[in-house]
Amino acid sequence: MEVLRLQNLQKSFGSVRALKNASFALNEGEVVALLGDNGAGKSTLIKAISGVFSVDRGDIYVRGQKVSIRSTRDAMDLGIETIHQDTSLAPDLSIARNLFLGREPVNLKWLGVFAPLDLAKLRDAAAALLKRVGISKKLDADALVSTLSGGERQSIAISRAMQFAAKVIILDEPTNNLGVEETHGVLRFVKEVRSAGHSVLLITHNIHHVFQVADRIIVMRRGEIVAEQTVADTDLLTVESIITGADMSALLKETRAK
Amino acid sequence: MTIAAEQEMPRSKRRSSLIRSPQFSSLVILIVLLAVFGIADANFLSPLNISNMMAFLPELGIIALGMTLLLTAGEFDLSVGAVFGLAPVVVMLLVQNGGFDIGIALLAGLLLCIAIGAVNGLIVTKIGISSFLVTLSMLLVVRGAALYITQGFPLKSWDQPGFFVTLLAGSFNIGTFRFYTSLWWFISLSLLAIYVLHYAKLGNWISAIGSNRNAAVARGVPADAVKIWLFILTSVLAGLAGMISAFRISAASPVAGTGYELEVIAMVVVGGTALTGGRGTILGTIVGALMLRSIRNGIVLIGVPGLAYNIFVGVIILAMLILHALLQKNAARS
Repeated sequence: MEVLRLQNLQKSFGSVRALKNASFALNEGEVVALLGDNGAGKSTLIKAISGVFSVDRGDIYVRGQKVSIRSTRDAMDLGIETIHQDTSLAPDLSIARNLFLGREPVNLKWLGVFAPLDLAKLRDAAAALLKRVGISKKLDADALVSTLSGGERQSIAISRAMQFAAKVIILDEPTNNLGVEETHGVLRFVKEVRSAGHSVLLITHNIHHVFQVADRIIVMRRGEIVAEQTVADTDLLTVESIITGADMSALLKETRAK
Repeated sequence: MTIAAEQEMPRSKRRSSLIRSPQFSSLVILIVLLAVFGIADANFLSPLNISNMMAFLPELGIIALGMTLLLTAGEFDLSVGAVFGLAPVVVMLLVQNGGFDIGIALLAGLLLCIAIGAVNGLIVTKIGISSFLVTLSMLLVVRGAALYITQGFPLKSWDQPGFFVTLLAGSFNIGTFRFYTSLWWFISLSLLAIYVLHYAKLGNWISAIGSNRNAAVARGVPADAVKIWLFILTSVLAGLAGMISAFRISAASPVAGTGYELEVIAMVVVGGTALTGGRGTILGTIVGALMLRSIRNGIVLIGVPGLAYNIFVGVIILAMLILHALLQKNAARS
């Protein structure tokens, strides 16, 4: 079933056309990798979906319903959670407080922003969540995020997205700056997210990771989607050549011939 | 591992994290300072001297509460000392030269403080200039305004007994101690600040904004609005402290509060709040306020020459900050 559809999205910054005419769809329980060189328009596209800014033209559909996303809050309410590298968590807050940041469980709701946090519920829910997502090392919900490793932080951010039953989870370079083992941890986690029924849009520079977890590949170049293929139907070299625009396989044949 | 040992662990862990917390080390140093001053001069802990310290403490302490919240959100305000001076001057001018009722004049003073805080906050968040520069400029504007409208002369403050004077600067005796109502203001505002920062939803937002603004915004936290309100709060508290001081000494001086901004920031960071945002502690700020107050008082009592005492204040603040930095490093390593 289709969860997210983008139709003819366009966005310009002054004279720069960052998004020319982007259209694609994302299905339930599917991991789609969004690839492209620097400046290809990947960030612009995900910022439009996650509500950082609105597009100049084009439509976004969530489960077949046309929606308008004007703020990050709008996107979250529609079940679209974006996880940016390094910017998703507040290091000076505990894991529990980070998990519920912006959606804190409170008592006496009528007090608005002055309402007291339901600390017991906060801690219990956080502990249950940490257990459910099965983060390998046992983590204390009261531990400060600043004491966690990069991979643990990514896992916390992703589990937070799952917690709020997000339909679409956008991962922006989730394996950047991570060690080999942590990278594998995060990729394994992405597969778990998929088997839990969430859809994932994965933005990355690392094509190897794409082939490990993605079902489908979308390649962008100069603000346009230039290719869309299922992982089974393509290979690393083909994808690489589409990204750069150069025909790598021809190049390879040439060198082999020599 | 036995079950008993497993249950034992978090408790000892909690205890050691309390001991390692910045407000705890500040508290220990405060107690040491009080003991040293108390031994060096018996008058230090006399009812008269304690009453004296408690009269001054709330005036800077109240501003420090607002500053703690603001610093935790990652901003700071250098205009508080000037607002401390301007608010009572404006109120008194309205009463004495404008013939307004004291209640209306106080309301006007409150609105003025709100406006100053709002301008600080709007420029910092919407135009994106650092709060250091914005509030430094605001310091000059506000102090200049106070000097200009009074032509540099202090005004006689409101000295007729009445509701507002009792409310802000009334005094009462407990045994041989003499306290001002401002102490109640400080205590109740402290409790409120502790609640907001550590137990309310808003406190979670304030810490998150100071810790990682982008993360907070990405979770739908209205970071700019929170910061603007904190600038307003800090300004209002500075004005309130200025009024309390002016009522207590029955004079409103356009130069009152000069240099208070730095003293207040010193109180806050000595207490353990991070200058870089994200980590704030109201208890630490109370300890910091007590510490700076007793240093200033005790140093004079034990006979350090008046002109030399800033040297001591500076050295003690520096020592505190070094201690916090070392503790922080230690905690990060373990």
